[in-house]
Amino acid sequence: MSFKDSFSQAFLQKDRWQLLLKGFGNTIIITLAAAVLGIIIGIVAGAVRAAYDKNIERMRRRKNASYYILSFFNFIFKIYITIIRGTPTVVQLLICYFMIFSSWRNGIPVAMFAFGLNSGAYVAEIIRGGIMSIDEGQFEAGRSLGFNYTQTMRYIIVPQVIKDVLPALMNEFITLFKETSIAGYVGIRDLTKAGDIIRATTLQVYLPLLIVAAMYLIIVLLMTYIEGKVERRLRANER
Amino acid sequence: MKDEHLIHVENLKKHYLEGKIHALDGVSLDIDKGEVVVIIGPSGSGKSTLLRSLNLLELPTSGNIFVDGVDITDSRVDINLHRQKMGMVFQHFNLFPNMTVLRNMTLAPEVLLKKPHDEAEKKAHELLKKVNLDDRADTYPAQLSGGQQQRIAIVRALCMDPEIMLFDEPTSALDPEMVGEVLEVMKSLAGDGMTMAVVTHEMGFAREVADRVVFMADGKILETGTPEDIFDHPKNDRLKNFLAKIL
Amino acid sequence: MKNFKKIAGLALAAALAVGTLTSCKAGSGSKLIMATNATFPPYEYVDGKTMKGIDIDIANALAKKMGKKLEIEDVEFDSIIAGVSQGKYDFGMAGMTVTPDRKKNVDFTDSYANAVQSVIVAEDSPIKSVDDISSKNKIGVQQGTTGDIYASDSPKNGGYGEDAVVKYKSGPDAVEALKQGKVDCVIIDNEPAKAYVKANKGLKILDSAYANEKYAICVKKGNDSLRKDLNKALKELKDDGTIDSIVSKYIKE
Repeated sequence: MSFKDSFSQAFLQKDRWQLLLKGFGNTIIITLAAAVLGIIIGIVAGAVRAAYDKNIERMRRRKNASYYILSFFNFIFKIYITIIRGTPTVVQLLICYFMIFSSWRNGIPVAMFAFGLNSGAYVAEIIRGGIMSIDEGQFEAGRSLGFNYTQTMRYIIVPQVIKDVLPALMNEFITLFKETSIAGYVGIRDLTKAGDIIRATTLQVYLPLLIVAAMYLIIVLLMTYIEGKVERRLRANER
Repeated sequence: MKDEHLIHVENLKKHYLEGKIHALDGVSLDIDKGEVVVIIGPSGSGKSTLLRSLNLLELPTSGNIFVDGVDITDSRVDINLHRQKMGMVFQHFNLFPNMTVLRNMTLAPEVLLKKPHDEAEKKAHELLKKVNLDDRADTYPAQLSGGQQQRIAIVRALCMDPEIMLFDEPTSALDPEMVGEVLEVMKSLAGDGMTMAVVTHEMGFAREVADRVVFMADGKILETGTPEDIFDHPKNDRLKNFLAKIL
Repeated sequence: MKNFKKIAGLALAAALAVGTLTSCKAGSGSKLIMATNATFPPYEYVDGKTMKGIDIDIANALAKKMGKKLEIEDVEFDSIIAGVSQGKYDFGMAGMTVTPDRKKNVDFTDSYANAVQSVIVAEDSPIKSVDDISSKNKIGVQQGTTGDIYASDSPKNGGYGEDAVVKYKSGPDAVEALKQGKVDCVIIDNEPAKAYVKANKGLKILDSAYANEKYAICVKKGNDSLRKDLNKALKELKDDGTIDSIVSKYIKE
């Protein structure tokens, strides 16, 4: 078969490009929803973990209600992060699909949740690391001006953390985007699965794989480009 | 009696490592309104710990600190309100690197004192003029020299109209040629009648500006007196030894 | 340290390259490399540490007849034909039906078993016969199997269209989805279907089959010598009753 024929068989015949496009759409919406969920979970979990690390020494001496609340949530998030980071994403996805949401017919919301939950753990560690890496002097300067802990975080620390963690976060979302390629395990027709289907029906190997790879790559390049732009803008202040 | 002094410290103790290290070992100290108190001593003497305890950046293990007659070590006291009235200047400036000089100075007054934006900026510009840095209002800290940054840090604290200023080794991180410009600002501040507690190694400054000099070693205050008492007629052997080494 | 990393990286890359070249290439010699996908009882499945099943036993008998040592690779079903056509494996044997599309890429031996594509449904399902299935249903399949290919085809070709078909990586996953109501039926080969229904309460196989077909072994296109050798050995095994006894060992009517 000539390249032209292969291309036409893999891409044009029987509207196979529509299959790819649909799969691509599913990959994108799963990634977007998971990223949003991941950011929300990650910020909450990361902030709690950092608040614990920063304040617990102080709070231990006065063991009031907030000491126990913070300790409790820190413990919960620690277990959550340990489990998520300690198990393969595909296993987490299967557990969500077959055990947690066994009554859901549609796999896509399950995948959004599973990938969001997964990403949240990594985002949490990025956020915690970002907060912990801010010089203690910044906290002290804030506190000495009279800001309370929450205000210090909001006005002084968080804006700096955002700038610091942006590259790591973007990296996490690129990983997340590529990791959604395992959605096929629960019957979702994402981009990778669309490629699988074309391979199975046309029995061609190379072209469907290359087309799928190129589509992933284009999006990753786009994400990298945006990240570079945003980062340059944030850094512009400093020198 | 605690109402007579702006700050009254009573038998303050700070222990680390389950009591093995005594950073502060029973310190009592009074600071009156308008007074400039300079705390000197060898490193590890507890002088920075004492200063940082005055606004509870360090939590004492035991003892009491009264500010305006209120015991701030009481956990029911809102320490944040007290800190608003106690400006602090750090060894490493600790300016906010992501904000302009002006924003560094207006953030706290706008958020905490609910000052209108224009008013906060007006006050910031006035203070910047005083330290000859008004032309740097829109630059970022990284673009400034250490001496300039420390002068900004001082006026940033002044934007909150504090009743007392705490200085924690404000010139120790500076290149020698920049020490003078920072000390000048501190001197003029003292001249304006600001209550100040200063931890420093600048003995010249202590002699010239201090109303009272406190000598600390091993977490205790060993001698207190006027600059003349301390520098010209030291009584304590540790003080004599210390002065011999640094002068 | 940086240099060390570079060197280590290069060494690793080199080792990988050499490894791929030496280990993965099938060919003549005394070995036969077979590709299968061991999630398809009773034809091939993993039992404890070893792979078992009709195909596995027949393949071993074939290799013995041909005087060669058999090696079995357990890969994704989709990868079998690709790997065989690239020469990565000598042959593929995985309950594989001969279809015109597959024949374009690989050659097939004579068939060694007849297979029926059956439909599994819940016992109380409104689907009473194959005719009740429509494009509006969700149909579970194992990705890449003939059940998948037929069902995914357009309605005018006897399928239900891509949108009606939910493709799982393994048969058990498709059956689990059926049990949970994520799909309305599962189309899968009759023999594994029996095994799944036996293992899971509340499921049944429709009396009418979805399709009838024959299983065969695939080899690289143009590898006629291997194909002839396999056909010869298959015929001998059929004639001496070996294949029948293997099948009846796994499938008890």
